[in-house]
Amino acid sequence: MNAKARLSLLFIAFALLLPGIWSLAHALPPFGFPTELYGQAVNDIVPGLRHVANMITAVNFDVRGIDTVGEEMMLVGAVTGTVMLLRGSRGEDASDRADQKRGRPVIPRSDALVLMSRLSASIVMMFGIYIVAQGTETPGGGFQAGVLCATSFILIYLGDGYAGWRRLIPSPVMAFLEGTGGFVFVAAAAFPLFLGKAALENIIPTSDFRSMISGGMMILGNFAVTVAVAGSFGALMVEFMEETREPSEDDPAEGDGDEVDETQ
Amino acid sequence: MTLPELLLPVTVLLPLGMAALILAVSHILPPRIADIAALAVSLAVMLLSGWLASVAMSQSAPVMHWFGGWSPGAHGSGNLILGIAFRADPVSAGVSAFVGLLFSAAFVFAWSYFDHIHSHFQVLMLLFLAGMQGFCLTGDLFNLFVWFELMSISAFALTAYPLGQSALDGAFNFVVTNAIAGFMMLGAVGLVYARLGTLDMVYMGQLAAERGADPVLIAALVLLAAALLTKAAIVPFHLWLADAHAVAPSPVSVVFSGAMVSVGLFGFMKLLLLVFSKDAAIITLAKPALMAMGGVTAIVGALMAWGQRHLKRLLAFSTISHLGIMLTGVASLSSEGLTGFALYLLGHGLVKGALFMVAGIMLALGASGDEIMLYRQGRRWWPAGVVMGLGGLMLAGLPFGPLHGGEEMIHHAIGHGPLFWAVSFATVLTGAAVLRATLRIFAGLSGAPGVEASAPTELERERADRPFALMLAPAALLIALAIILPASLAEASGQGFAVMSGLGSLAELAPPAAVPWTALSTVGLAILIAGLSLLRRRPTARIARTMARAERAPFTALEYVHSGLVGDYVVWTAVGLAGLSMWIGWQ
Repeated sequence: MNAKARLSLLFIAFALLLPGIWSLAHALPPFGFPTELYGQAVNDIVPGLRHVANMITAVNFDVRGIDTVGEEMMLVGAVTGTVMLLRGSRGEDASDRADQKRGRPVIPRSDALVLMSRLSASIVMMFGIYIVAQGTETPGGGFQAGVLCATSFILIYLGDGYAGWRRLIPSPVMAFLEGTGGFVFVAAAAFPLFLGKAALENIIPTSDFRSMISGGMMILGNFAVTVAVAGSFGALMVEFMEETREPSEDDPAEGDGDEVDETQ
Repeated sequence: MTLPELLLPVTVLLPLGMAALILAVSHILPPRIADIAALAVSLAVMLLSGWLASVAMSQSAPVMHWFGGWSPGAHGSGNLILGIAFRADPVSAGVSAFVGLLFSAAFVFAWSYFDHIHSHFQVLMLLFLAGMQGFCLTGDLFNLFVWFELMSISAFALTAYPLGQSALDGAFNFVVTNAIAGFMMLGAVGLVYARLGTLDMVYMGQLAAERGADPVLIAALVLLAAALLTKAAIVPFHLWLADAHAVAPSPVSVVFSGAMVSVGLFGFMKLLLLVFSKDAAIITLAKPALMAMGGVTAIVGALMAWGQRHLKRLLAFSTISHLGIMLTGVASLSSEGLTGFALYLLGHGLVKGALFMVAGIMLALGASGDEIMLYRQGRRWWPAGVVMGLGGLMLAGLPFGPLHGGEEMIHHAIGHGPLFWAVSFATVLTGAAVLRATLRIFAGLSGAPGVEASAPTELERERADRPFALMLAPAALLIALAIILPASLAEASGQGFAVMSGLGSLAELAPPAAVPWTALSTVGLAILIAGLSLLRRRPTARIARTMARAERAPFTALEYVHSGLVGDYVVWTAVGLAGLSMWIGWQ
């Protein structure tokens, strides 16, 4: 199909969908009309039961925890897939000049920048840990905290450059963090089974309402997710940086003709 | 909690945990250990799911597991369902066990194939396995969506693994079309939740029954159908499949064609049966549309399969055709149609898995996947030819095993209308296509190629780093199972559906005919067509040339629609969605 035919067909399809969308829009509950009992029930039950104040975290890590296990592993799968595909054409060796364009001079970073980056990296990392530690009480939680921790990796890169950063954190460390975080989360979900309880059942004492260590299993799950997310984003960053490098001659996928793939 | 209830979540948590563990130590793990661990996990999942199926069968009720102990009424939640349940009825758990079997066979087939990528293959395959287990076993609609996405994401990466241009194109089409399917599914989940206020499938069914035909529920059904029928590759949502299945590494294609697609249809069937079938009005609207889509898919897929020369593309299109046949069984929503669907899913997966392994063997040893280029090349590996020939005969309707049993029951369920002929046509032509390729490659029979000569093909090969016997063994095992598994599975699966739907028992099932003449006639026709096409001479006379051109015309038209351009595919998805909404929503 040429572009014109494609667009007109798409337009016709959307036009045919309009009446359906119209009748659907009129049948939906009115905007802002509270019909859901679920939220009410969670608000009524969970604070007394788990002593937590953040109901989103409670739903994500306790009431509907298996969804979050699946989502966390989805992230692990997405990052593993990305790493596998990006690495495929160039192998795994790190290069000192991964983020440098060939022929462009390397200007050394100023001391002020290095100092600021190191300082703010530590502060951002601390903030990430704070966010996960308070995840059951205030807005926040494992995913957000993991992204914050990964941000501190970027700040280190900003100050110390790529080579320094890779020396500090070798690539296997990222895979290790990612895998370990995922494994701890899954193992924590499975552990109650050994005690004859349901998977993901909260078997850790829940402390007092709004205390930092309230929520029991939710805290463990949150920390595991933080570690996994930080590792995932770190691994992604490594691979994206290394992408600036040209594929080497002996690539596993393309070089030695293992998978020659040409459309006739 | 009883032991089966305790072990139910292990079907998902075990592969997830093992995937994470392998990833954590991937840099120091010897590749053989990862192979062994992955194989052991998939075998364990297979045995566990099989056992759960038999437990559910013997207690005549699904095995349930409420995660976190949030069962209905727990912690003072009244009659509200807050948590998520896995619900292992005999059919769902049976399908899970079958998925485990296919993964085990694929792991054996892929032994050492992916050594150089730090076990990432095993990690992704285990996540894929966990996604499929969860998809089959969950009783919660949003949770179903989570596993649907986990399945998709690992499948995308596995498809692109060869990293050639066509692999990247195929994976890209796969990502875009299936991501759109994901959005549609999420929209449907939102609509159902907005209307019914719950995500538990069985409870949703009870509420939907009280509601009657409701525009929101109809819209949700349309979106769910479009989403899951994209996964199940039903015309016009099927276009991504051949691109993706033809380029994925063979061990992955085995799982794609053998299980992923039909499991997508299985999920749709479950939602139809548990949620929407409780509302007679909605089902009356949806049934004819689904039936028609099934029939069209069966015919289009079969024609496309016949017109291919690349083995994996040929098999991929035959998968589309067979999914069409399965959809007619599903859409009948009768005990016979559903039982037939379950049997067909099993038999088709076994046969198609074996056939993709043979294609993989030819790609590795014969260094090509093109039936014309492989002419006479297969003689040295004749046992693979035996497997492939048997596979072709099974597809054509050889009266053994679950594939044939399922087809008989689907035939019974859909009666003798035009659908009957569509299904028979698909059976004959897909069987004939596989037989033609088999005879050409392994028996050295070939005249001038017909329509297949102008089909797209690839110059490609796969690593030949493992012994022939190791690749042949799982293929032979699958085809043997496809032949010897007894027809008595029909009865068991009929009872299984009764347990799943919560009805006491479905109507008594008619056993397949004792002397299946119709089956033998489809086999005979398939052999005849394959034979005739191999005896063909180059058309020299004027009339012969005109006929050859006329023969090619519909295939050229079909090939034009299967353009490989993702923009086209998205447009066809929109057209399909609009068509469904017009048909179902406007009556």
